[in-house]
This record gives sequence, structure tokens and C-alpha cells, in this order.
Amino acid sequence: MTSAAPNSGSLVSPAALMRIRNLELRARVVVEGFWAGLHRSPFHGFSVEFTEYRQYTPGDDPRYVDWRVYGRSDRYYIKKFEDETNLRCLLLVDQSRSMSFGSQGYTKAQYAATLAATLARFLDQQGDAVGLLSFDQRVRDYLPARHRPGHLRQLMLALEKPAGGTATDLVQPLEHVSELVRKRGMMVLISDFLLPLDRVEQTLSRLLAIGHELTVFQVLDPREIDFKFDQASLFQDVETGQTLYVDPALARQEYLRRFEAHREAFAAVCRRLGARLRPVVTDQPLELVLFDFLRERSRPSARVRGGRT
Amino acid sequence: MSFLTPLFLLGGLAIAGPILFHLIRRATKDRTAFSSLLFLKPTPPRLNRRSRIENWLLLALRCLALGLLALGFARPFLPKAKAILPSSKQSQRIVLLLDGSASLQRPGATEAARSQTLAQVRQFSDAQELAVLTFDRSSRTLVSYADWKATPPSDRAALVEGRLNDWKPGWSGTQMATALMGAAETLMETGTGAEPQIRQLVLISDFQEGSHLESLQSYEWPKGVELVLNPVVVRPPGNAGLQLITEENSATPASNAVVRVRVSNTADHTRDQFEVGWLRPDGNGFQGAPTKAYVPAGQSRTLVLPLPEVPGVQRLQLTGDPALFDNTVYVAPVPVTRARVLYVGADDTATPRQPQFFLRRAFPEGTRPVIDWTARKPDELTPAEAAAANGLTVVTAPLPATTTRALRTGVDAGGTVLFLAGSPEAVASVGELVGTPTLASQKASAAGGALLGEIDFRHPLFAPFADPRFSDFTKIRLWKHQQVDFTSLTNARVLARLDSGDPGLVEIPLGRGRVIVMPWGWTPEDSQWVLSTKFVPFLYALLEYSGAVPTATVGSYQVGDDLPLPDLLGNNLRMQLPDGTEVALTPGATNFSGTSLPGSYRLLGSSSPVLWAVNLEPSESRTLPTAADDLERLGAPLARDIPATADTQARNEHLKAAEAEGQQKLWRWILGATFLILILESVAAGWSARKNQSKLQEATA
Repeated sequence: MTSAAPNSGSLVSPAALMRIRNLELRARVVVEGFWAGLHRSPFHGFSVEFTEYRQYTPGDDPRYVDWRVYGRSDRYYIKKFEDETNLRCLLLVDQSRSMSFGSQGYTKAQYAATLAATLARFLDQQGDAVGLLSFDQRVRDYLPARHRPGHLRQLMLALEKPAGGTATDLVQPLEHVSELVRKRGMMVLISDFLLPLDRVEQTLSRLLAIGHELTVFQVLDPREIDFKFDQASLFQDVETGQTLYVDPALARQEYLRRFEAHREAFAAVCRRLGARLRPVVTDQPLELVLFDFLRERSRPSARVRGGRT
Repeated sequence: MSFLTPLFLLGGLAIAGPILFHLIRRATKDRTAFSSLLFLKPTPPRLNRRSRIENWLLLALRCLALGLLALGFARPFLPKAKAILPSSKQSQRIVLLLDGSASLQRPGATEAARSQTLAQVRQFSDAQELAVLTFDRSSRTLVSYADWKATPPSDRAALVEGRLNDWKPGWSGTQMATALMGAAETLMETGTGAEPQIRQLVLISDFQEGSHLESLQSYEWPKGVELVLNPVVVRPPGNAGLQLITEENSATPASNAVVRVRVSNTADHTRDQFEVGWLRPDGNGFQGAPTKAYVPAGQSRTLVLPLPEVPGVQRLQLTGDPALFDNTVYVAPVPVTRARVLYVGADDTATPRQPQFFLRRAFPEGTRPVIDWTARKPDELTPAEAAAANGLTVVTAPLPATTTRALRTGVDAGGTVLFLAGSPEAVASVGELVGTPTLASQKASAAGGALLGEIDFRHPLFAPFADPRFSDFTKIRLWKHQQVDFTSLTNARVLARLDSGDPGLVEIPLGRGRVIVMPWGWTPEDSQWVLSTKFVPFLYALLEYSGAVPTATVGSYQVGDDLPLPDLLGNNLRMQLPDGTEVALTPGATNFSGTSLPGSYRLLGSSSPVLWAVNLEPSESRTLPTAADDLERLGAPLARDIPATADTQARNEHLKAAEAEGQQKLWRWILGATFLILILESVAAGWSARKNQSKLQEATA
């Protein structure tokens, strides 16, 4: 299973990928590359709900009657079309200002948008309905999950909007989501989660309580993880504009300790809630992320529901 | 390297600025964007860790720029090579010019001048050429170049000392300018030996105010001559002096005669109370009570003193001033001069507005000279009287032929005739007098009156009017005049012409005398001449020109002046000097030039004794030592080793420095270099910033 991981030699580096200006094109490169690397994958079509036949009942559209089956069995069966799916995926993308940091030549927001676009395209190719909700401290764009021509393009446009807002607030947008989306579905939350965690757990648990399946991508920049700055300078919060004189040589240890503690705390929250946490570093190839995502998802056992019954 | 404004060098301390900035430079200017400050704690600034210089090149450039700027503002200059000190004594030519004027008679001054001269001689004892001159009104040589060369160097000081011991200052005034010019020429003489490299003129003087430096104003000093001033300081300073105010035109009787004297006091004098009185003939005490005079320092007072009725030269003495040399004034009795004037005219003195009336009033009683008048009507004048008229004769009417001929004799003997030829008859008379009976004339009258133009101011008659202030004759209108044709008289000289071109005043020499023809009348109906301001000065000039007034023995004399001798020379004439010695006069001499002492000079051996009083030159009393400054102002080539006060020395040093700095203008180069370094600094800073940026980019990529 693991041996089927895409050959890393064929992977597109994120830096190279980000040079493609068009987000849609970027998503296509990733998805097609993914497909190319996956041609021997045993997980082909794993997420496609099997098309089923249903006995015709008066009122059904006679167009969908499968006349072949009728020819063989003399019974009317309605054929479920492939594009009809019951997987409804909503991409929750954080577009707050903190996502506009990036040390790799592109920002976390760009990486997150590419990731969301990749997922959207992939799911769309599979025939799933994909929706988008982008937010900073409140909801910016909301596209309900659909699968229809043109929807993907709209979604891409919304993703291409630059990051804005002055703060990250998960609570308000997610509460909004729980009101908007009543149907059960899959939620993919993409954010850096660099925020106090006190109300995050509560909000996420509400989302899960509705029955949504929640996958969390925590997008982080390599510099945020290793804090490898060599010059003392005024560090400026990209969200608030607040500055702080920091000598990295002196502050690094403390930073790393507190940062790790935060990550641990967040991972613990996800574990408790049964949400899948995927930490993503922006120098990671997107194919790998997609691959890992699919692999995770193909193991229903991995869907930990925590202690909930 | 010296600096004009060295205080600006303190600006160089600003170099500490960039060093400090380089040391304490924190990355405060650098901002690093970061996603969240959630996990960061502020770092306390720790300067000591950063206290190292990161960019030596930039630091050096900035320090250099600041240093150069401070250097430029300090106005550096390269001091000129000091004036060549007289070390190479072999090629020196020195003239020591020693002031020997009367002001050196002050207590202590003579000794000081001697010792200073000797000190100079000892200093230059091995100089190639040296001369010692002394001067007052004129220069004399004490030690010549030849004397100097002929004496071995070891004996030179003794030689000069011997001559100096025989020398003492005289009583004359100071003609410093003349002496300096003469000495400078002596220095420039081309000798037989090698040309001297240094020509130095050492002036040893008290530099008194009355040194007569005026003529140096236009003097161009010869190149290479250096003037060293060596002031003789006289202690105590200050001097009060007594001077006679000459007033010789008064012929008041001796009983009422007064003498005016000026008591002057120099500005540096501490005394201001003096007494002035006539000395007794034996010199002990005053005749009568002296006059008190209060003269504050720097001022002068004039006193009027009655002349005592004692024959001989009188002495007026000032007391209260320790500098005695100018405290005595000699006053000689002024002899009365007489002039003979013969008037020939139809009018008499009682008739107003007639020529004689005006003529008499032009010479009032009591003035000098005293006029001996002879007035005659034309027909009353005897030929004998006419022939004896060798003084001034004024003729205002035509004369009979016999009288004319007799007058001609008088003129030939040296008489002067002023002929007023306002009528054709008078012109004819002139013609007879000068020997041209056919002298043509016609009456002329210009509308509005004729004016005198083209006046020969060089002629003695008009010389008093030569000054532009007095030369305006246009206010005098001549209503009637005779147009006389003098062309037949080849020796006639036209002294003034009328604006019409006619002769206005003509001089015709005859024998030893002359006839002056004035072709207009003197009555106010004829002309404005007698009423004009020119009339009286003209008559006095005429009187002097005619020789009717003896010029000798008139005036006041100063030491060094020539005394004019009167024409009464006999044999065995002697001049008795103030010190009692007698000097024999050469027969036929017109002047006596040995007045080296103030006092009375008496001519012995003549029929009547003649007395002269010779006094000090008044300017000798002005002893305030200001001439050194005047010399500098007049552009004398002063050597800078005058023993000046520290203050003036510092000022002079500063001036010299400013001059050198102004010529060199090194600050321009330094400023240019600063700009260059600033440009370099900009380039270096830009390069450094780019390097840092690319390093950062590499680090973040």
C-alpha cells in the first residue's frame, strides 16, 4: 500500500508549482500528476460511490430507465448516474492575514489555496460536490457544495482572492457553517491555527456533532517551525502590525518550545474530537499531501470518533 | 601646517559620531514580517554583543570625511618661510639712521639712542657694509661704508662708539621722510663688491608725531630694502612746548606790541599746569609775574603777552615741563619797514570817490609797511621829484612833457610807474613816457561793461590770485576803457586781456624799472575795480613787485633756516651766534646759513645792529610717538621684528596667517577631497547594502 506512493522524482516542487500563476492550472498539474503517479494504485475509484440500480417507481423520470436491464430481465430499473454522488465536501479555507506569511517565495495562503483547488478539482473529477467557505475573522465567500459545470471555476476565482482581514477567528465562521450546512458531509478545514485554542475545540466539536467528517490541514511555513532567522530585528505581526524587537539567537529556544506546545495542544484537540489532523509544511509537494489525504481517508478505521458513541 | 581657525579642529571630534553609530547600530531599522507574535517574547537590547564594527570601509570613509571637513574649516595653510634672518652677514648692507632732531634733547633720550645704535652695531659687527647716518632737517654721515670696511670687525663697535660720543642731537626739526629716502638710496648704491643680498635700513628714532612723513605718501620704496624700526622710548613721556605765533604785519608802536604764543601739550603728558613769562636778560627768573596756563593733555592754548620795552632779543620761558628743549621762545624786535609812494593826479585826498581817495584807504595807518606818501598835481610835480621817483609812482592824469621825461629817468633808475590811462590824453602821455609818441587809442565801451579775461597768474602781480578760490575776476565790470594798440611796443607784456581781446593790463619794461599801463580809470563811474576785493591785494602785490618794500629781516626763523642779510654790507661783518661765538661773513653774501642753535643772532660790524631770533621748529614739540604707525600706514617695507606688544604681535601674526591662507586656499582642495570621499562612501554604502540584500535573499531562498 505504501509502496504505491508517488515516485518523488516525478513530483512537482511547490516552488515550481507556485510559479504557475493560474490557480486552476496549478490544481490541474497536481491532480494530473497525481493521476499519472497513481496509475497502479489499488485505491483507484475508492471514493466513488457505486452506481446502483433502483426499481422504477412511478414518478421517476423514464429517461433514466436502463433499457438494457429491462431487455434482459424485463424489469424497470432506474440507473443512478455517475455524477450523482452523496459525497458533499466543503472546503473551509482560512484567508486571514496570518496566512500571508511565507518564506519560500510564496505565502501560506497561496499554498492553502492551491491545496484547496487541488482537492476541489480532484473531488470534482470524481464527481463529488465541492463547496467553499473562505473566511478571515468572518465569512468572506460561500459557495455551496455542488457538482455542475462552471462551479469549479467559480470556486477557483473565490480561492484566488488575496488574504485579508486582521485576525483569525475560527469560531464565528464555523458556527456559520454549522448553520448553513445541515446535510452531513465532509469538511476540509485549511488554516495555520496560529491562534488561541480555547474556543476552537468547542466550535469544532459542534461541527462534528452534526455528523460532518472533518479533515484539518494545518499549513505551516518552515520558518515557523524552525525559526531560523539570523538577524535581530523588529518582528512584525502580519495580522495586527504589532512589532517586537527579537533577537532570534536568544528567542529561538523559547519560541520553539512554545510553538511545539501549541502544536501539541492542537493535535490533542483534534485527537479528542476525532478530526483528522494533517500538518502540512509549505515546502511539501502537494501530490504527497493529496496522496496522504486519500490514504488516510481510505482507512475508515482511522476515523476516530474519539470517545463518542 | 598651521591653522587660521584651529578651534574648528574640535569639529574633528565628530568622528566619534560614526564610530559610536557603527558600534551601537541595532537592527532596529530592519523589520521582519512574521505570521504571529504569539510565541515570541521581546528580547532586551544587548548592545555589548553588537558592539563591534561591521563595516570598516564605510566607517573609515565617514570618519575621513568628517575629519577632512573639520580640517577644511580650520583653514590650514603652509606657513611661509620666515624672512631670511640676517645669518649670512657677509652679504648684508645696513644703514643705521639715527634721529638727531631737537626732540632727542629730552632727558634720557640721547643716551638711549646712543646705546641702541651701539647695540645694533654690535649685532651687525661682521656685516659686509654698514653706515651710520644721523638726520634732523638733513642727513649727515657719522660712519661711512668706507670707514666700516676699513676697520677690522673687532674694532668696529669702538669706532662707532667713538663717533657717537662726539655726536649729540641738534636743535633742528625732523625731516624723517627726506632722511629715509636718502638712506634708501644709499642702500641701493651699486658698490664695487658683490651685490648685497640683504639691504636693511634700521631707523633709531623717538618716532615723534611731528616727523614730517607726508612726502613718503607718493614715494616708491626701492625693491629689496627692508625697514627696521627701533624706537627710542623716552621716560617719562609727554612734553609741553611753547611756540611763537608769527604775526609780522603789525606795525603797532612798540609800547603796545604784544606777542602771541601757543602752549601745546601732548596727549601722553601727565601735567597740565604751566607758567609762561619773559625771562630776565641774565636768565634768572621772570620779569614780572608769569602768566598761568592750564593746558590739558592733547590740547593747546594761545596766550597774548605784552612785549617788554627792552631792546634786544627777548626770551619767553615755559615752566612746569621737564622736557626743557622746547620751553624757550626768542622774540626779536620787529623793525619798521617803510615804502615810498608818489601819487601824481588831479585830485586830492579830500575828494571822495577819486583814485587818491581809494589809494590812501588801501594802505591804512598802522600797517606794515609804513607808507611815505607824496601826492602831487601833474603841473606841480617838479622834474627833480619825478627823476627821483625810484619807488612806486601812481599816475592818474596826463603829464607835461618835461615831467614825463624826468619820470623816465626815475623809471630807468628802477622805479615802477602805474599809469591809469583812462583818457586819450593819458594814453598819449604813456606813449611819451615809453618813447612811442604815436600810441594809438580809441574809447571803447561795451554794453554791460567789459570783463577781465585771460589773466597771467604767473606774473607776480596776479600770483596772489592764482588759487582757484581767488581767481574769479568776472564780478569786476569796466564801464569805460581805452582800446590801446600796443603792437608797436615789442617788449610790452600783456598781463591781462579784456573779454573783447583788448589789452587790459600791460607791463612795459624800461631800463631797470617798468611802466604798468592800466587803460581804465579808477572812479566808480569808470569801473568796479576799486570797489572789488582784488584791489587791495593787487596794490600790495604791486608794492612788493616795485621793490619799494625791503624784504630782508621780515619773518620768523627756525633752526636751520637761512637768515637773509640786508644790503648794507660793509667790510668785516660778523655774525654773533647765540652761544657768543662770532662767525665772519664773506663779503657779498646774501644769506647766513649757520643757524644751528635757537636764540638771537646779531649782525656785527654794520652801521646799525641787526637782530634775528631763531626758534625751534614748532612741530618738534609734538612728541607723541605715532610715526611708527604712520610709516606702516604709508606702506614702508617694514621688517616684522619690531619689538611690538604681545597684542599687536599676535594681531600681526594673525594677519600674516590670514594672508598666507588666503593665497593658498588649501580648504578648497580639502573640501573637494571631502566631496570625493562622500561619493565613495555613497558607492560603498550602496554596494554594501546590495551585498547584504543578496545575502538575505540567498538565506531565505
